[in-house]
Amino acid sequence: MSTILKLFAFPAALIIMCYGTLTILGGHITPGGGFQGGAIIAGALIFCFVVYGLKKMPFHISHDFLAGLESAGALGFVFLGLAGLLASGFYLYNLGVDIYNIVPVFIKNIFDYPDPLHAGILPYLNFVVGLKVLVGLSAVVIAFLEFKEYDTDEEIEEDLIEEED
Amino acid sequence: MVYAGPLIIGFLLGFILGSRIRDNPESEMKFTTSVYIIFIIAAIILAYLFGPFPWYKDSPFANGLIAAAIGIIVGKLIFGRKPIPSEMEEE
Repeated sequence: MSTILKLFAFPAALIIMCYGTLTILGGHITPGGGFQGGAIIAGALIFCFVVYGLKKMPFHISHDFLAGLESAGALGFVFLGLAGLLASGFYLYNLGVDIYNIVPVFIKNIFDYPDPLHAGILPYLNFVVGLKVLVGLSAVVIAFLEFKEYDTDEEIEEDLIEEED
Repeated sequence: MVYAGPLIIGFLLGFILGSRIRDNPESEMKFTTSVYIIFIIAAIILAYLFGPFPWYKDSPFANGLIAAAIGIIVGKLIFGRKPIPSEMEEE
């Protein structure tokens, strides 16, 4: 890649990440949300992967980081669902809004999203879905780039034999 | 009154992403402080052009975008100062 592109890609990726975050934050009342915002953030990371390559990447995206982030996203979603189940009897019940008036007020206040719309758990669900999507899409591209290191099947077999030894 | 929700979640997401920024010794590109100053200026301009998103009326800026930008900078300053560890380079 050219030097101009390498100079431009990193700051542009940071701006795109901020835009993806904004898309996640507006997901409860605008088109967009966790999946779209996560895909935009993953797009910023993929932009950097394509321009800099896997080894010269300015972001340190390790396997542990990806696994941790995806686990946090999945567990966050399950936790919000189970919280609704335990407090109201309905899985993924919106505890912050409580349209049936069956939840104590202090629980409603805990899960309330502090903005004028009071969307309850929806922004939190968008957030955790965003984490999962950004990891999922980034992991696919990382896997493809790692396979690109090998030109032939023989090289893969040689590498596997070396690892076994 | 500025709403706390977008500020907290925006900062958190930006912090997670910013903490992964590292100086790569293998790369010939060195991103100095000037890159982050340009980034924060561009983020403020973008937030002003967006306006109070989504349909808030608390400030003339998109607070979530500003919070994410600040989160990226803070994450970089706290966790992103070390270069990429050597064991990752070998992989």
